[in-house]
Amino acid sequence: MASGSWLSIPKGSHFSLANIPFGIISTPPSVAKHAAVAIGDHVLDLHEFASHQGFAELQDFPPDHLATFSQPTLNDFAALGQDAHARVRRYLQEIFAQESAFPGLLKDNNEVQRASLFRNDEVELHLPMKIGGYTDFFAGKNHAYNCGCIFRDPAKALQPNYLQLPVAYNSRASSVVPSGTHIHRPLGQFLSTPGAVESSFGPCRRLDIELELGALLCKGNKLGEPINVNEAESNIFGFVLLNDWSARDIQAWEAVPLGPFNAKTFATSISPWIVLKGALEPFHAVGILNETKLHPYLREVRKNNVYDIKLEVELKTSDGETAILSRTNGSNLVYSFAQMIAHHTIGGCPLEVGDLIGSGTISGLEPGTLGSFLEASEGGKRSFDVSSTSQRTFLEDGDCVTIRGWCGEDDSNTVGFGECSGTILPALKPSWLET
Amino acid sequence: MAPLKSWLQVDPKSHFSLHNIPFGIISTLDTPEPHPAVAIGEYALDLHVFSQQNGFSALSIIQPHQKVFSEPTLNAFAALGRPIHRVVREYLQSLFLDNGPFPDVLEKNEQLRKATLLPLKNCKMHLPMFISDYTDFYAGLNHAYNVGVLFRGPQNALQPNYKHLPVGYHGRASSVVVSGTSIRRPNGQILSNPAAEKKEPVFSECKKLDIELELGCFVCKPSKMGEPIRIEDAPKHLFGVVLLNDWSARDIQAWEYVPLGPFNAKNFGTTISAWVVLIDALEPFATVGIANDTELLPYLDEKDRKSNYAIDLSVSLTTSSSKTTNIGDLLGSGTISGESKTEKGCLLEQTDNGKIEITLEGGEKRTFLEDGDTVTLTGVCGSENGALVGFGDCVGRIEPAVQLNL
Repeated sequence: MASGSWLSIPKGSHFSLANIPFGIISTPPSVAKHAAVAIGDHVLDLHEFASHQGFAELQDFPPDHLATFSQPTLNDFAALGQDAHARVRRYLQEIFAQESAFPGLLKDNNEVQRASLFRNDEVELHLPMKIGGYTDFFAGKNHAYNCGCIFRDPAKALQPNYLQLPVAYNSRASSVVPSGTHIHRPLGQFLSTPGAVESSFGPCRRLDIELELGALLCKGNKLGEPINVNEAESNIFGFVLLNDWSARDIQAWEAVPLGPFNAKTFATSISPWIVLKGALEPFHAVGILNETKLHPYLREVRKNNVYDIKLEVELKTSDGETAILSRTNGSNLVYSFAQMIAHHTIGGCPLEVGDLIGSGTISGLEPGTLGSFLEASEGGKRSFDVSSTSQRTFLEDGDCVTIRGWCGEDDSNTVGFGECSGTILPALKPSWLET
Repeated sequence: MAPLKSWLQVDPKSHFSLHNIPFGIISTLDTPEPHPAVAIGEYALDLHVFSQQNGFSALSIIQPHQKVFSEPTLNAFAALGRPIHRVVREYLQSLFLDNGPFPDVLEKNEQLRKATLLPLKNCKMHLPMFISDYTDFYAGLNHAYNVGVLFRGPQNALQPNYKHLPVGYHGRASSVVVSGTSIRRPNGQILSNPAAEKKEPVFSECKKLDIELELGCFVCKPSKMGEPIRIEDAPKHLFGVVLLNDWSARDIQAWEYVPLGPFNAKNFGTTISAWVVLIDALEPFATVGIANDTELLPYLDEKDRKSNYAIDLSVSLTTSSSKTTNIGDLLGSGTISGESKTEKGCLLEQTDNGKIEITLEGGEKRTFLEDGDTVTLTGVCGSENGALVGFGDCVGRIEPAVQLNL
């Protein structure tokens, strides 16, 4: 358990000393991007801290390692491996500890504080890693079941392959954006009624969210060389919240037989602070039981292979009304990230540092625990209440969706993800486009 | 068109005639860091050394940008845009022209020729571009139809969306490799009996390993998030074309693909040819594609522009016992498969999903690929000797699956 800090950290802050998540910031008016960590309502610029000898007491961390903090993404730091991450994290916890062993480096050093310690509102946050590949899985079994029931007989809600292999598709790395980025409603083709013979074209009419967790990798594999499921955890750098915005009508028309495409690639938002794998160690949990006997390459020795993460989805309308739409838990997964990685590479597919793996939509089974509007509105058939005066089936222009996630019961040692948010703007319609 | 003549000896049957000038990334013993080059006949012109030694002195427009020729990929050159690609290509053509306008730059400059004209066999090829995203479409109507017939019968062969929108999915950029890279047969889950009511997957090496004869096109100009590209403007965004073999594990695909599309069936490897043929080199061969009898929405309507290319494509298979067959029956023009029964771009179609064996020249039989098989895709535009525009080889050899101790 981390002790208190000399820095004032509000009770319940996601960024307690037990966390130390990593991100990429710039400090206006400068546009230079650097590595940083979040502590309470503050941010420590690691490049500046390193330039001011802040890491002087960190053993076995040569200049080329320190130089990774000056890069505009965390990829090089991640590539140093989990041992290095753990040592840096422990060191920073010591730097901020009330009874710090090294008070001269920051606690009692006004000059270094001025140069490297900022308030949240003084910095801009950026995409924390260069993402070469982004794969989205479908491991939220309740979501898969709920969606299946919308389209099929509940006895056939899950496809025959669902419990045998972690189903996934490659999404579009270039469309991953940081929390706060505005999301334009996409244009596309869809059927305006289920039985329509001609497709329509225009702004998506069934715009949705998908509450997910994302894992970012610190280690890859060579083409042709699968990753063993019991070693896959060492490939993970850390985790973020992920909103896989979805255009349900575009998806229904385009997805057969090659899967979702334009329905997904217009945007995916991620939270800016990567919670390192080491910070989530106390929160391992057992996931949704899979009664199927898995093939050996998917049999993970660790049984508590998911995480107990409290998740919530908040909607704020353009009128300023706010409502919590959903509360659920990150353990609502039937496959772990290790199993996803093992399946992804079993045929020899190469993964790389910075790759993003989405868990798939996370839902409970009851209303108020669902990770998408598709489920909450029962396939668009029912509107649900946002407030005494507002209802929704799908998203409207001006809606702002915020996902939050955190672990732990102790107010002073919360390990959280901050926020992953986005506001829907109307579709961009170029003048030349006939609709 | 009369073939352009060069002072350099270029075989009249060469795919790298003076009409082509494709761009690639090479490394050599002298310059081991990957760097740009163009191909001409049996030579590469090393653009890094060429630019360092002032070979571009007669081309003022490129002067401020020459560092693009020292990059390890063609991305920086591509980003300069099509007007500059056109000018650079024409300049390089002119240097090789018999009685050309700048004989002192290369033709009469023995020192520069020695330093920059390198036999292709002394060059190692690399991926020509850094690929951030790879999308695979499905625009070969004959292929889509043939495959549809195999699984759903002629009435339902094409899905209802097929003629309304170009169906596509994302492949795995990290699995795109340059021609010559070995391809390991993937392991995965396959159905022991696909026709059985109860689906029982086994874990096995892929038993239905296939090819997919495709063309690949590289993008040179990005677009902003939220802003569609107008179809009339699309050509400005295109850099050049390569051959592409989208190796496919048909049995892994059949079990995994519902509802999210193909995944492990594809991401174990995709091979591209090493030399990027610029769009300008293909323009003389522009033609109409397969007619779409559906009325397209305005954003997809090219208004009769000839936006396909007449490229003769062929596939040859060399077995591990080194018997080569030109599966001449796999010739097609256009994107994936031709119309006739003998022009198929993949073994799935050619063998009727494994029901019909093809006989190779040495007497060996095949349904799907075997370990040790080498598949080579080639493509060429035009038929006039001395004016051929081709792509070089797109080749891969199948290695045995990894033995996993699980």
